[in-house]
Amino acid sequence: MPPAIEFRHVTKYYHSRFSNDGVTALADVSFEVAAGEVCAFLGPNGAGKTTCINALMGFLFADSGDVSVLGYPPGDVRAKSRIGFVPENFAFHPFLTAPKLLRFHAALAGMDTAIAGRRIPELIAKVQLCGYEELRIGKYSRGMVQRLGIAQALLNDPQLLVLDEPTSGLDPAGRRDVREILLALQSLGKTVFLSSHNLRELEQFAGQVIIIDRGKLVREGPLAELLGRGGRVAIHVDQLPEEMEGFLSEHGAAIERGPQGIRILADPALKREAVERLWAAGCDVTAMYPVKSSLEDLFLKVVSDAEKPQ
Amino acid sequence: MRIRAIALLTFSGFLRNKLMILFLALFAIVVLLMMTPLMVMRSQSGAPGLPHTESMAPGMIGGIMSLLSGFGSLLAAWAAADAVWSDIRSGTILAVLARPIERREFLLGKFLGVQLLMGCYVAMMLALSYLLAAIGGGHIHPAPWLLIVYPLVRYALYSGLAMLLATVLHPVISFAIMLVIMVLESIVVPGHPVWFLPDWLRSALFAVLPSPNLLSETRFLTLTEASLKQTSALDHLTALAYGLDWAVVFFLLAALLFHRRSVLRD
Repeated sequence: MPPAIEFRHVTKYYHSRFSNDGVTALADVSFEVAAGEVCAFLGPNGAGKTTCINALMGFLFADSGDVSVLGYPPGDVRAKSRIGFVPENFAFHPFLTAPKLLRFHAALAGMDTAIAGRRIPELIAKVQLCGYEELRIGKYSRGMVQRLGIAQALLNDPQLLVLDEPTSGLDPAGRRDVREILLALQSLGKTVFLSSHNLRELEQFAGQVIIIDRGKLVREGPLAELLGRGGRVAIHVDQLPEEMEGFLSEHGAAIERGPQGIRILADPALKREAVERLWAAGCDVTAMYPVKSSLEDLFLKVVSDAEKPQ
Repeated sequence: MRIRAIALLTFSGFLRNKLMILFLALFAIVVLLMMTPLMVMRSQSGAPGLPHTESMAPGMIGGIMSLLSGFGSLLAAWAAADAVWSDIRSGTILAVLARPIERREFLLGKFLGVQLLMGCYVAMMLALSYLLAAIGGGHIHPAPWLLIVYPLVRYALYSGLAMLLATVLHPVISFAIMLVIMVLESIVVPGHPVWFLPDWLRSALFAVLPSPNLLSETRFLTLTEASLKQTSALDHLTALAYGLDWAVVFFLLAALLFHRRSVLRD
């Protein structure tokens, strides 16, 4: 099965209109998202995530490289008929009501009027906008607009869902609803390409992670594999002599001092040697257990590594 | 279906555009003020020492209709320049272009939305011309289709050009260029020398710019039955085909340029 999304050596440069200056938004970015995968697309602000998504949707064009969506070039109507899209800072025609907007999008999607007539109330109920059908979108809160955005993205029962910050502006209940919708889509074998800063939520359902920073791809792979690679060992001790602190720091271990004692977070490869040295130095090792790193830890580590001078 | 949906939404957007409503309201006031002398003349018709309404009305009606017609050209240019740009500015274009729709279809929907607006404007102009004729006691053209088709073609031409400019330039700049073009084409008419334009440039501009005179419906407003007979169907056809030709070329060029441009707020 061909990948749902494919970027091959994509470079995008934003030129300044009035000078020779410019910014490289994407530098030789290559990755693939397999069909049926939920892919978390991460990066700090200004990393190039939205540029990637815009290139993917055909809103802008890469200076070099190739992008393929569901086997077609970006902007191809055959691909777009199977895509649902929620842009960042979603904007709608403010004078429309939710049902009118969804009818408009159903017409654009080429949906049969009768099918759209059945689907629209279902979607409105799904995103918890019942009771607001007569209210103009201009009067909606940001969270309501975001919910409506998700409803319009689901309108054509898409094979691929591209979501740029879908939970921004949503309250905890709204975020939970979106999470449930995404989990349901995942179980139906849909591909979800999702950009978000809410890493704890992404960790619950993302199968694949792509991290970019300053326009460059810095990490890509299955989430379980990436988190497994970043696992650490916590060692609790009652005291820590200076020479031991120096040794541990040299080997990249983190030392946290709290009311319950001292916690050392070390690489599993260092575990044995560290404990032996601690015992030898007269420290009492009170506990030792594995610590699985979170997506947030991974993200922060990858981004800080990328920022270090080469 | 897709193009119709975009055209109708564009038209609805225009009807709710506050700037447009304000502008139209101000313009309606100006027209009403211009109509006042006509109504005064009508009420005092037959009084000793006053000219008959019939003798002055055609000139006044012609003036009002020329003003309305010119304003229509401006409205067509502004609406077309803003139609796509406002969607880009607000970001609403992203959700629309994410749908299975070609960019040229989107642009065509926008263009037709502008033509719907101008259709309403022309209908309003036609109604006003009948009203003015009734007040002034004049005769309206016996073939009202001329009063509908000519302005529609002219507005299609202007909106096509404005849309073309707005695909590459900011709409305010596009509108300013349209204003310059409208002024230029009104002063390069043969037989009206302009001191600051050499003859060769004036002739060249007249050949290149879309001529408002050829497509002007105002020349038909004051026509008599006799002069109407002098205008053959072929003349009408040639003039309208000329205008439509320009409009189609401008639209196709706009679609070509829009095909590869970014639709993001820069």
